[in-house]
Amino acid sequence: MNSQARSNALGNERVFRIISYILVFLMLICVIMAASALLHNVIPAWPSGIMAGVMLLVLIDRLYTYPRFKSLVLFSGEWAATFGAQWVVLVIFVRLLLSYANGLDAFVTDMQLFAHGDLESFFSPEFVVTLFLAILAWYLPGQFLELLDEIGLDQAVALHDASIPVQSGVVPVQQRLVGLIFNLGIILVLVTALASLNLGAILSSSPGSFRVDPNRFSTGEAGVLLYFLFGLALLAQGRLISLQTRWNIQRIPISSDNLAKRWGLYSLLFLFLLILAVSLLPTGDSLGIFSTLGTLFGFLLSVVLFVGHLLVVIVAVLFSLPFLLFGRLPPIPFGLPPAPELPPPPVESPLGAGSSAAWILIRSILLWGSLILIIVFSLLHFIRQHDELLAALRKAPILHWLILAWEWLRRNVGRTKEGLSRALADGWQSIVARLEKRRLLPPAGWISLRALDPRRRIYFFYLAMLHHSDKQGLRRKPSQTPSEYAVTLERGLPSASEDIDSITQAFVEARYSRRAVNSGEADLVKAIWGRIRRALQNRFGTARPGKK
Amino acid sequence: MVGTFLTLLAVLLLIASFMRGDFALTLIYLVVGSLAAGMWWCYRALAQVKAKRRFNTHAFLGEKVKIHLQLENKGWLPLPWLELRETLPVALAGPRSFQTATNLGPRAEAQFEYVIEARKRGYYPIGPLSVSTGDILGLSESLQGKSPAEHLVVYPRIIPFTSLDIPSLSPQGALRHTLPLFEDPTRVFGKRGYVYGDSLRRIDWKSSASAGRLQVKLFEPSIALETFVVLNLNAEDYHYRSRIDATELAIVIAASVSNWIVGKKQMVGMMVNGRDPLAADSRPQSIPPRKGKRHMMRLLETLARIETIDDSALVPLIQQQRYQLAWGTTLIVITGRAGDDLLDELYQARRWGQNSVLILAGRDIPDQDARQRAKFFGIPVVSIASERDLDIWAQKAKHP
Repeated sequence: MNSQARSNALGNERVFRIISYILVFLMLICVIMAASALLHNVIPAWPSGIMAGVMLLVLIDRLYTYPRFKSLVLFSGEWAATFGAQWVVLVIFVRLLLSYANGLDAFVTDMQLFAHGDLESFFSPEFVVTLFLAILAWYLPGQFLELLDEIGLDQAVALHDASIPVQSGVVPVQQRLVGLIFNLGIILVLVTALASLNLGAILSSSPGSFRVDPNRFSTGEAGVLLYFLFGLALLAQGRLISLQTRWNIQRIPISSDNLAKRWGLYSLLFLFLLILAVSLLPTGDSLGIFSTLGTLFGFLLSVVLFVGHLLVVIVAVLFSLPFLLFGRLPPIPFGLPPAPELPPPPVESPLGAGSSAAWILIRSILLWGSLILIIVFSLLHFIRQHDELLAALRKAPILHWLILAWEWLRRNVGRTKEGLSRALADGWQSIVARLEKRRLLPPAGWISLRALDPRRRIYFFYLAMLHHSDKQGLRRKPSQTPSEYAVTLERGLPSASEDIDSITQAFVEARYSRRAVNSGEADLVKAIWGRIRRALQNRFGTARPGKK
Repeated sequence: MVGTFLTLLAVLLLIASFMRGDFALTLIYLVVGSLAAGMWWCYRALAQVKAKRRFNTHAFLGEKVKIHLQLENKGWLPLPWLELRETLPVALAGPRSFQTATNLGPRAEAQFEYVIEARKRGYYPIGPLSVSTGDILGLSESLQGKSPAEHLVVYPRIIPFTSLDIPSLSPQGALRHTLPLFEDPTRVFGKRGYVYGDSLRRIDWKSSASAGRLQVKLFEPSIALETFVVLNLNAEDYHYRSRIDATELAIVIAASVSNWIVGKKQMVGMMVNGRDPLAADSRPQSIPPRKGKRHMMRLLETLARIETIDDSALVPLIQQQRYQLAWGTTLIVITGRAGDDLLDELYQARRWGQNSVLILAGRDIPDQDARQRAKFFGIPVVSIASERDLDIWAQKAKHP
């Protein structure tokens, strides 16, 4: 193994461990918050705060003792002794704490009962539930930490695992961590949703029981959001650890000294921007999307319940038939359930006092757009992950027609775009020509050649030739085209006939074609004009004595 | 992972529709956003990464070639991790190829350098460079980009000769010769008194005037060694046991002989019936005889790239080529086996006015029969089993 890579990985191990433990701790605190909220909602009489406290205590204990437990062989004598001692203490502590929560008198009474061996009072429902939650609080951190060790938090474990031949179908550790975080997240979301509902009202089937205050963001919900944020942070860290482990195993040297530091920075930046984007995206004012969906799901649920109730009635009737035959009353009373009614149209909450209709419309459009994007993205992602589905879709004739239609549309759009741009360019040319009023160069004043673009520099040299030729008596008639004038000029200046041809050609191209003119061409025309000028001067020089 | 993600999404949508609270929708944004933003970042950043290599594309055998690899992130999005793997030919780099892991900040660049050794003649691809990266959370699969391969030409070994015995019929060249038939009027080496029958053109008038009697110039005989090397790389013409070594040896012989001829400022051309990876139809073009170092490099480059071929008979190629060569050209045919058809063709060349030398390269050649037949046709035959034999051949030519 590359020594530098190994030292990098080992150097970061301690920091990684501390951060990972903190993140796992924070995530599980969110879980405890959600569980506590649910308990408080379902059975308000129970000391949900104390139960959450117990879970927190178990969580801390588990995180603290995890390294020690890890070093023990599972189900060995030492493990059993350590595990047993820890749990005996925990169980007694939890029971005493629950007794004490009901007051000192209740605590004393409970103690007396326990002393008399009254197990029924010992295993009270709240104690059993607390114990279950404590086991959960003991089990969950272990799951997270084991996975992190496997990813590479514990290099010895990671390298040992890597040396074992990989079996086909084994999910990579990072993906298992993602699965664990998301699965726990799903449970947490459900728990939080249940905790937000008025369960008493639901059980009594009162209307609107599913509604919660949309503006209320409960502690449990905040906890779930935080759980996911900490989960994403843990994933970012897990990713770095897994990459470093893989590079160690494959002996790939790490050439960057600040990879871990930068990773931390980029992770934080990514999460910050994500939070910012999420907080800016619209969540309410959905123009009825969720009320419609809610109504639909509510109706579907009532239909399912009705069918279920109906089945129960049929079974009850069948079961009661022998009793009815013998003229006795059936043991199970039965009656037909009320048929589900079509739900009334969803009622939207009135607009907020400070919100205008336009703003709500904008938010709704944003919301709809975001949702459509999310759904399209999810579908695309799903299809990409399932190649067989993609292959089947490609073979489907409907998709083939759709592709053909899309190509046709694209072609037509392309043609239209081309036509439009051509028309615009032509229009622009004609506007420019009109504005210029056939004047090729800026009017009056000094002309700076450097300020002119190559096309106009060619105009300048050609016009200079016309001007000087005019002085020499080789005037251009207004009716003459550049080519016709070139013939006239060549007669007067036979020595420069080639140059006259060249400059005329260059001028015609610059003036009447759309081809881009570069400065090299302008320089060439300048040189040609220089030669023509000399030829004109020579002609002047020879012609003047003659005149005299 | 996708299953879990979709389940979570479905649960959140259900909760959003039942509860109509901000919570579920915020979570949907968070979860989908983390996946989508991660993927977008990854795609976008990878598209902005450009790799460039700098190295000497030509190397002589045994030379160490330094390859500078420059990686540039042209965009503003940083790349938290990058895994680089350069695919290198085993013949040059051994089993370990260049690979490293790094990160690239916005508009940053990284430089890497590694060395390969030109251990074997050939035309080798350096690369492609595979650049992998992924999202920072590990929610999506890694992405991979490839930078195209470039090529390195490793010239064949050249064994320097001080002398070689290659016959020529071309007079008036730059090489001294023993036959007075090839006297070169530009190479005067002395004078003697006129005897009856001497051409008047040989009289040195200045010396005659100063000596008071007629003096004639003595010319040194010389030849022009216009040579055409014909290298046979048809695999079937080499013994299967030593095919690889023998063909390599044949290439070394061709390179060494050509080098010697070019060193003597003579013209040399070449025809190979092998496989050239750069030629349009994989058949190398015949190189007409020319002089000079630049021409030599062209020959060496062809010899560096060339590989053996199956089912490509040599004789028809010589037949085609022979008519394009000048009278007096020496054909040096390097092959593993000389059959009757080849000897017959070389005999025809001899009758046409071209010299031939047959070099049999490689071990396991039953050459006695070929030697006898070649002797019968008047074609010199040299058997070279190893590079050491090349030296021996050269020594023999020096001290016959």
